[in-house]
Amino acid sequence: MRLNPVTPELQQRHRRTGWLLALVGAVLLIGSPYLPWAWSDDALDDMTYLFGPSPTQFLGLALGAVLLVCLLAPRLLARVLAGRRARWFAFADGAKAAALGALVFVAVVVVGIAVELGGLVNVRYGGWIALVAALLAVAGTMLLPRDRPATLGGVRSPGWLVISTIAVVMLVTLLLVAYALDEDDPVIFVALLAFVAGVVAVLLKLGVGPWFSSQTARHRGVLVASAFLVAFAFPFTQDGSEANMSIATQVLIFAATALGLNIVVGLAGLLDLGYIAFLGAGAFVAAILSGSAFSAVGWNPPFIVTVLISGVVASLLGLIIGSPTLRVSGDYLAIVTLAFGEIFRLVMINLDGSDGPDLTNGSNGIPGVPDLDLLGFDFGEPHVLLGVEIGRFANYYFLLLLVIALIMVVFANLNRSRIGRGWVAIREDEKAAEAMGVNVFGLKLFAFAGGAFLAGVAGAVRAHHDISVTPDQYIFLESAFLLAAVVLGGMGTIVGVLLGAVLLRLMPEKLRFVDEYRLLIFGALLVLMMRFRPEGLVASRRRQLEFHEDDEELADKVDPTVTRAEGAR
Amino acid sequence: MDVTLFLQQLVNGLTLGSLFALIAVGYTVVYGIIQLINFAHGEIFMVGAFGALSTWIVIGRAQITAWWMLPLMILGAMGVAVLTALVMERLAYRPLRNAPRLAPLITAIGISVFLQEVVRLFYGLIPGFPDAKAPVPFPAVQGVSGGALDLGGVVLQRAAIFTLVALVVSWTFLYFFVNRTRIGRAMQATSQDPDTARLMGIDVDRIIMVAFALGAALAALAGIAHGLQYTNIDFRMGFLAGLKAFTAAVLGGIGNINGAVVGGLLLGLVEVMATAYIPGTFGGSAWKDVWAFALLILVLVFRPQGLLGAKVVDRA
Amino acid sequence: MSTEQHEVQFATAPEGAVLLEARGVTMRFGGLLAVNAVDMSVRSGEIVGLIGPNGAGKTTFFNCLTGLYRPTGGQVSFAGRPLPPRPRKVVQAGMARTFQNIRLFQNMTALENVMVGRYCRTSAGPLTSIVRGPKFRREEAATRARAQELLGFVGIPEAGESLARNLSYGDQRRLEIARALATDPQLLLLDEPTAGMNPQETRQAEELIFRIRDSGLAVVVIEHDMRFIFNLCDRVLCLVQGEVLVQGTPEQVQSDPRVIEAYIGTSDEGETGDA
Repeated sequence: MRLNPVTPELQQRHRRTGWLLALVGAVLLIGSPYLPWAWSDDALDDMTYLFGPSPTQFLGLALGAVLLVCLLAPRLLARVLAGRRARWFAFADGAKAAALGALVFVAVVVVGIAVELGGLVNVRYGGWIALVAALLAVAGTMLLPRDRPATLGGVRSPGWLVISTIAVVMLVTLLLVAYALDEDDPVIFVALLAFVAGVVAVLLKLGVGPWFSSQTARHRGVLVASAFLVAFAFPFTQDGSEANMSIATQVLIFAATALGLNIVVGLAGLLDLGYIAFLGAGAFVAAILSGSAFSAVGWNPPFIVTVLISGVVASLLGLIIGSPTLRVSGDYLAIVTLAFGEIFRLVMINLDGSDGPDLTNGSNGIPGVPDLDLLGFDFGEPHVLLGVEIGRFANYYFLLLLVIALIMVVFANLNRSRIGRGWVAIREDEKAAEAMGVNVFGLKLFAFAGGAFLAGVAGAVRAHHDISVTPDQYIFLESAFLLAAVVLGGMGTIVGVLLGAVLLRLMPEKLRFVDEYRLLIFGALLVLMMRFRPEGLVASRRRQLEFHEDDEELADKVDPTVTRAEGAR
Repeated sequence: MDVTLFLQQLVNGLTLGSLFALIAVGYTVVYGIIQLINFAHGEIFMVGAFGALSTWIVIGRAQITAWWMLPLMILGAMGVAVLTALVMERLAYRPLRNAPRLAPLITAIGISVFLQEVVRLFYGLIPGFPDAKAPVPFPAVQGVSGGALDLGGVVLQRAAIFTLVALVVSWTFLYFFVNRTRIGRAMQATSQDPDTARLMGIDVDRIIMVAFALGAALAALAGIAHGLQYTNIDFRMGFLAGLKAFTAAVLGGIGNINGAVVGGLLLGLVEVMATAYIPGTFGGSAWKDVWAFALLILVLVFRPQGLLGAKVVDRA
Repeated sequence: MSTEQHEVQFATAPEGAVLLEARGVTMRFGGLLAVNAVDMSVRSGEIVGLIGPNGAGKTTFFNCLTGLYRPTGGQVSFAGRPLPPRPRKVVQAGMARTFQNIRLFQNMTALENVMVGRYCRTSAGPLTSIVRGPKFRREEAATRARAQELLGFVGIPEAGESLARNLSYGDQRRLEIARALATDPQLLLLDEPTAGMNPQETRQAEELIFRIRDSGLAVVVIEHDMRFIFNLCDRVLCLVQGEVLVQGTPEQVQSDPRVIEAYIGTSDEGETGDA
């Protein structure tokens, strides 16, 4: 019930005031970077100059400009966007996102200045003006009426336009990643994240995001190929620096494992809390067969053979861990996998020669795993490629890209096959699936074994990358971490899980002050995600439906026939 | 076979088992009512132990060891544990009642990690409190700490007596609570059929809170018992104890309070006996957790209804 | 609703051959004897009705036939071979079912639901699926085409892209039948296919079941709607308290005083919950 009915006149007045307020905010935001924000250049980058914006300040300017465009576009482009095109863009929603993004960005910077220099007194008038401008913009855009959803997502565009957009997006991503990774100041890093999140939010609200995803669906090959091209090009932006490449390889190992887990959890719907054991099994097998001086086994086969053995051993473990699925499901299965994971770790500790047969060198693990030598290519040595030095970590980076590509192909192709349909059916209603002739047990077992094989392969690479393998790298918490990446990013999606893995591994590396609170944040994150967005940042359509069983509106929204019928209306 | 040694192992096993049983009841009570495995329950046990320590520091000014500190510490431990459990239920679990079963389990893992980290990071920041990043010494209390009793060669620690008595008292209390009180009968009704219970005017939300509170109170007792027995406590202690107690609950038949007690005692005995009597390299304490987890898996796979549980018919 | 007829080919057994042979099927839950020594045989091209008051054990009997329950006594054989009590083996042998309370895969589209039914008649394994060779594509295309064809057969050809949960109640029942037909059954078991339908939908369902029979399949139907069952069936079994009370042509069963008594006189005795 509303006490004050919003009359059309009142709404019109609100819209006018809101628009003016937001416009003032936008102009001030654009102007504020030309003013000094801080008293000292010890914080962030140098924000002390009048008429000399720093790179960070420029980001604020950019958000202001985006906001300005959203506010002015409906008037300036009224002629172009007439008729059916009038609903292409949701400019008011875009403006709201831009204003909110700007507020978060400015707040991060102001708080950052205060923290790094010791107190809010260190913020100069430019910073305050920017903050007020952002507040004005948020207040103003709040008064604007909500748009109807943008229809741009349904517009079909010519191939050249889509493909060149993909190219631009990929290029921007590459530059952005390289830039962000080079940033040592944690505050600027967070501000940059806020900026990117703001821009992405604007694009999504505006209708450009839906357009991009619907159009690129027609050119998936191009999208995937260019994404890999960008990933491949990344080491060349690092100019031989190994610091970032070391982080990048860790992220890739984590992402590869998370993607493997996503097959088990996201596709087959089996909660595996012991998944890290498969990575560990692969790593231990590879270390034992690596010819390390601490290995109890003398045999040292070529890496291709080792990788296969690692995968097979891991998938045998997967079969063992998966075999209870014949009799237990749901929560009990999760506990069984957890117990198996713990048993694996304990056994690795105990096979030290005194508590059991000597195989793993106990809790000290196997150090001194030599670098890979693949077909005469020594991974330990730097190589010069296209005039750029490619160091040790970069070598592993390329190999890991291959592993990830393999896992992605497996994931995507299984998902779009008879087996993938069987998995969905099992997730939906196991009894009905069985009664329709789906081989429920076989499919579950395959999910376990297949997922384990991929983790085993990743583990084999990891053993050489890490140089040493110890049991305490494979504790339950790591399994929980992997699960968190899957949940955060979005169960059952590739992009989501990649995003989740990158966020979860990159943040602690870049934000050293967060490191101590890493686990705290991660625990809270799991709880909050389950509460507010269980389908993850990038939602798989089906998972979204499953997590919101009673949401009729959502069911209509994702139903293509309903959407089409509405479009015709 | 050495009878004294065997009796000693029996006592050790029952003591360890009592600890498991006290925690296991919490899993079982909650599961019996909403079929939720409250995976974070082990952390409640840990929080309870720290609650007792805090009470000792605040009221006993970190030096009084007289016997009357014990009831105060028990109250303090229970207060903190129950409060934590209720907040957890209200904020994290209740919104997920109708969500797919994956959701509460993931939430539970999140809570578990979160609570551990809260204790690890912030406990020492409170003025006068010790840093909890490493194991913290647990206070000795007159009567339940110190000199062991010698019963003809079988050594009985005072802390072990406390644990055993705590279990017996709690078990008796639970029996009367569940069977003789209004709330207890409402709990039984709710576990049979929550929807009908609701129609009969039972406040199901309240019953669920009671279940969480009961479990937390017993876990807090276990926390103190653990502190007295091992003389120090640790922010990590909930994980393993929780998992073992869950094993005990499943072993006895999850949802069944007597089952949790029997399962706990049995698991304690198995673990102690296995350590003492399995010969060769696979005996010994290095493998005891392996056997406990193996037992968990075997029970879950071959008799998921547990020793005292009824078989559930899956209807089409 | 489309009224056009979609002709679909089914693999069928020769007319009149005995398909299903149940002998002394018994199901006991603890002290409760839910199904007691029930005999039933079904020939191809036949529609058999299964009636009885609530709690008579009809659905339990279905579950015993389809392997959802492992009967505590008796034997079920299909096309002369004993049937193992495993749902998947039953489907492979050629017997498919629908459920009393619709059990579709709610968050899949109608077409995907039917394609799941094709699972047991297709063979693409993990490696084939990952490599996606020409053979895989052919099979996938054939699966899709067959599923679309079956949607047409049951009268919802345009529903393919809709989510199952967005379909109307009647269409969900049709979709469940299409999904069962996708497993290439020779015998179809329908558990209350018209429950909750209005008279017009019931008539359409009746017409659909006739068409399934005319394609050469045998059908066993559980129903409460007497008019429906006596219109439809060649033979009717009346189950009361887990035992076959009467069996015969619709006319015989309809006029049998024991049946009337079972329904009107003592119907309150059997209310032990028919799941």
